[in-house]
Amino acid sequence: MISINSLSKRFNAILALDHVSFEIPDGSVFGLLGPNGAGKTTLLRLIMGFLVPDSGAVSLGNLHPAQIGYLPERAFYPGRFTIRGYLSNMGRLAGLEGSQLRAQTDHILHQVGLHDTMSQRLGTCSRGMLQRLGLAQALLSDPPLVLLDEPASALDPAGQRFMRQQIASLHQAGITVVLSTHHLDEATRMCTHIALLSEGRLVRIGPLDSMLTPKSQVIITVGPMPACLRDQLTALAPRVAVTQNQIILTEESTNSKAELLRTLLDNGIDVRQLTERHATLEEVYLEATGT
Amino acid sequence: MNRIFILSTILIRDLFLSMFGIVPLAAAVAFGLIAFEYGMDQAQFITVGGVGTLVLCFLTTLLLASRANRASTYLVLARLHRRAELLASVILASFSITVLLAILIALGNLLTGRLTLAPPATFWIPPSWSPLLLLAASLGLALSGLVARGGSHLVGYLLLAGLLVANEQGALLADRGLTWLVRAVTTVIWPVSTLLAHASAGTLDGAYFLAGALTLGYAILLYLLAVFLFQEKDLCWSE
Repeated sequence: MISINSLSKRFNAILALDHVSFEIPDGSVFGLLGPNGAGKTTLLRLIMGFLVPDSGAVSLGNLHPAQIGYLPERAFYPGRFTIRGYLSNMGRLAGLEGSQLRAQTDHILHQVGLHDTMSQRLGTCSRGMLQRLGLAQALLSDPPLVLLDEPASALDPAGQRFMRQQIASLHQAGITVVLSTHHLDEATRMCTHIALLSEGRLVRIGPLDSMLTPKSQVIITVGPMPACLRDQLTALAPRVAVTQNQIILTEESTNSKAELLRTLLDNGIDVRQLTERHATLEEVYLEATGT
Repeated sequence: MNRIFILSTILIRDLFLSMFGIVPLAAAVAFGLIAFEYGMDQAQFITVGGVGTLVLCFLTTLLLASRANRASTYLVLARLHRRAELLASVILASFSITVLLAILIALGNLLTGRLTLAPPATFWIPPSWSPLLLLAASLGLALSGLVARGGSHLVGYLLLAGLLVANEQGALLADRGLTWLVRAVTTVIWPVSTLLAHASAGTLDGAYFLAGALTLGYAILLYLLAVFLFQEKDLCWSE
């Protein structure tokens, strides 16, 4: 479990992070969401120890930052190294050597689809290839925690799908993945937990499901209904809207769905349609960030 | 230690695979041609060669540090257990490059007959030059943009320039009554000047060993200063 405790960071006049605290559960795919300048990259760099916090602390438990797989938002590489040569160097720095280094390098090159181009110089690689290489170096030493800063940004659809598949595999293997993104679709598909940052502050956090469920709606379309029954239905749940032929349950009142339906049927009301509408992360994001 | 060695090989490869790799080579060739134009005996070689390789080492350290002061270092730094390992790697890489270049300069001039060395002297050149090269590397590191915080490197350059000018203009300063300054500067540079002078004369006495130890002490202090500056520095690199 990684704990972020009251972390603050200021760059001159800009408060990049303002007393941010939360925990990242082991084995989760934890999405850091927020608009540009929200503090996502700053938070990841603080976790890696590249920045020194003004206040607060990051607790990695038994982990050392060197055990973390890290892919920066835009990784830069020495252009004259080859893909394999660069990975071998990174592997040596991670403590791999000899046959173990060769085997792991080959394995990871196959995994990210760069094995056939391993002799290519980094200066001639496409953005997509460099992003795959970035992921390869992050995964080289089988890290228990991986930090990915905007891993799919500037990738084509195939590259984005590849990145999603890799993250899903990591999740299945029980590896904790922290990824920053402002692609809500990407976060909805991949993340188990979400933290929403806005202007350096944590505005929403929790499991993705629990973040979306309170915003869900149940819409029941009914036939004609006496006015007294409308009042009775309104009293049943805290957030229920009753119109001439529609009953809309929102947020926590969706739990009262069964009771409400029973009341309608007991009173002989014609229930014509029942629609469940789940909130999107975009709605949660826009509401939380005030954008 | 293994990581430091591996990282220093990465730094050396990175430097010589880039166009900046030409700088130490060109400087070494220029030094080898110009300084040895009229030939050198053993004593001259120890003094002039020592100062030349010291400058070469300083220059190489600045180059290596500037190569390390880039966004591509994030991925390397993420593998290290301590930030200081990066600084130690820069020093090791710079030291190795300079030693290799010094050997090539010496061999080149020996083969062309512009340098004469008696066998015993070759044994005390390494222990005499090594503290100097480590001092130059540590000084270059402490004055580099990689570790600089709040313009600390500018203050360092001013102090270094002041020291060199005061040493050069000692007589003038003494005439103006600033003998205390001359004495202070002489004391500060005593280890370096004594080390070279005694090695050059072949007098390996107590003063020689004390000067070597003090020069090494300077190098360690400067390295610790660089570590202190770098340890708490916010690393915000972009290309």
